[in-house]
Amino acid sequence: MTLTAGIDVGTASVKVVVMRVAGQEETVLSRASGRIRRRSVSSVVDETFESAVSAAGLPAIDYVATTGEGEDTPIATGHFYGMTTHARGALHFEPRARAVLDVGALHARAVAMDGRGRVTGYKMTSQCASGSGQFLENIARYLGVSQEEIGSLSLSSTSPEPVSSICAVLAETDVINMVSRGIATPDILRGIHESMAGRFARLLQSIGAEGVVFVSGGLAADDGLFRALSEALEHGRPDRRNLAAGTSGPVKSPALELARHPLSAYAGAIGAALWGAFRHARLGMGGAAWTATLKTKDQKSAGHNRVPRSP
Amino acid sequence: MNCFVGIDLGSTTTKAVVLDERGETLGRGITNSRSNYDLAAELARTEAFVSARFALLEREVAQAAGPAVLARLLKAFRLEQTLAQLARLRARIEEEGARAVPQDRRAPLSRTLASVFEKMLSEEEERFDDPAPCERSDFFRDAAGSAFARIARDLADPRGISFELLAGLYDKCIVKVENEPLELGFREHIGRALERVGDRSLEVAVDRAVEAPLEVAASVGTGYGRARLPFPKEQIRSEILCHGLGAHALFPGTRTVLDIGGQDTKAIQVDPQGIVTSFQMNDRCAAGCGRYLGYIADEMNMGLHELAPLALSSRRPVRITSTCTVFAGAELRERLSLGEKREDILAGLHRAVILRALSLLARSGGIEDEFTFTGGVARNAAAVSALRALVAENYGQRRLNISPDSIYTGALGAALFARRAAA
Repeated sequence: MTLTAGIDVGTASVKVVVMRVAGQEETVLSRASGRIRRRSVSSVVDETFESAVSAAGLPAIDYVATTGEGEDTPIATGHFYGMTTHARGALHFEPRARAVLDVGALHARAVAMDGRGRVTGYKMTSQCASGSGQFLENIARYLGVSQEEIGSLSLSSTSPEPVSSICAVLAETDVINMVSRGIATPDILRGIHESMAGRFARLLQSIGAEGVVFVSGGLAADDGLFRALSEALEHGRPDRRNLAAGTSGPVKSPALELARHPLSAYAGAIGAALWGAFRHARLGMGGAAWTATLKTKDQKSAGHNRVPRSP
Repeated sequence: MNCFVGIDLGSTTTKAVVLDERGETLGRGITNSRSNYDLAAELARTEAFVSARFALLEREVAQAAGPAVLARLLKAFRLEQTLAQLARLRARIEEEGARAVPQDRRAPLSRTLASVFEKMLSEEEERFDDPAPCERSDFFRDAAGSAFARIARDLADPRGISFELLAGLYDKCIVKVENEPLELGFREHIGRALERVGDRSLEVAVDRAVEAPLEVAASVGTGYGRARLPFPKEQIRSEILCHGLGAHALFPGTRTVLDIGGQDTKAIQVDPQGIVTSFQMNDRCAAGCGRYLGYIADEMNMGLHELAPLALSSRRPVRITSTCTVFAGAELRERLSLGEKREDILAGLHRAVILRALSLLARSGGIEDEFTFTGGVARNAAAVSALRALVAENYGQRRLNISPDSIYTGALGAALFARRAAA
């Protein structure tokens, strides 16, 4: 049995899980998340980590794994790349998943993988924040609705307003224009969700995703976006290989199935914890990475912040 | 006198220019754009006619009365306009406040509001008497907003009438006040302004300026919101054509125009007659236009006009790697937390805006001599300095034209089209 912690440092928030791994059994013992806002990242990491481990009530943790932008966290035993941790975290929730769509605060990325969580393809939106969590947060602010309301409002739309992909910053004037043209808030939100869904569907297409796609990241909880994405993927997509083979008629590849979990936002942290447990067992590491007797603060002043472990 | 009007309805500001029969600029007006486009256009036009009538007045009495008296009259006129707007704002906030709070808090709220507005009014009067008042935004919404917030913060009581309540009332009411018509024209306020100045010798000339027949012979609209102006289709021209012609009118030697506005950047090549031969525009992306700097100013909690002086004080500009405005904001926060200097980051951000513009210019056909820079960002000294450096680096010696009235270039072009159409 291995006790591990996973710390996922995102651009807007920090997610921490504490897990127990015994053979095939993977259990989340506790979790915590903290918004970074304008605070120092390392203090949010410390705070969130402490709150997760104290909720778990464990005397010691064998391996502390980081992912995302948490590479230089002093308490960490090891670091794993975001794509591998999201892949592994997705399999924890949905063993049939063969692709992950991670929609975070600033970026969205699609990862294709095999049944063991090995990454086979990867693509990220770059250069532009259109369609990201921050983008949707801006839109909600311009419309004067809270982020929690976005999903249900979008679901209540009756005639979505088509929007092309829009700049996260210029969206303000676009939204003002739509409002002044008398378009209802649900229709604006649904239109924006559809435009985002189209973008994500193309992202998934570009990595050759097949079968079940697990949605991770903070925006997985947005029901409106999830519905729009399900519909965009249900219609299938033209299969390039068939077209190239000269098959006549509009050939569509099998539709993709979407999955998510109430803890989708923690997928990266969970994946990190699981890879940490795997590495811990593989390398036959002994000793503890963190113990309750030493407070994080004391560990920091002690230098490397790790308890010396037996060889 | 027949005159011609051009209106440029931009995403951030709405500009109007009035030309006389000879095609000379008689007046210019600007206001912030708002959700009611018709009203924004109407206000800009009103402002342009105010400035036109002041120009007529000046033509008549400049020698007799001297520029100091006219400047004071204009200042008094602005004060009267502001007082009218403040009275309207106060009435709306009092109405809204009575609805927003329970019976027992209405009296304390109205007392607090009375002191806030009294202070605002006395500050306006002081400003009028101050020979060198500090700079502030030209727009009522911003100027009144910052005064209201500052005074409300001092007078608010966390246990009684809180700052949040007052700020909430302001936000709600300023939108209403901005979107209902208010008479702010020359005729409405010049009388009281004249009384305030107390120079009776101007009376006859002022009356003549009020009564001067300025007949609008033709109007043309342009800009981001042009499709929604209440004009027939033949009185609408694209922004590209208007900016090309406007820049040509300001600087007849112009061959290349760069316009950086609130939400788009245009690179335009014109022929010796000011007719557009090719152009490039950025496509629905805030990177490289005015909103980019506005977003950065918000991120840094600074006013837009404070950015350039700080950026110019930089000695080692950083290289910004992000393109997207939102990412640049994140990069800014990250660099600040790494301890880099605000001025160095800001200088890097200004350079980034200009680099985006240069790639548009290159795609439109490069930079020919003379090169005219227009739009709101042309008023930003740090952007201009980055542009000078990068143009010299990439194209060699070019004559760079910047007019202090460059923000009116599009409206000027539109007015020139109106004059052509009427001829």
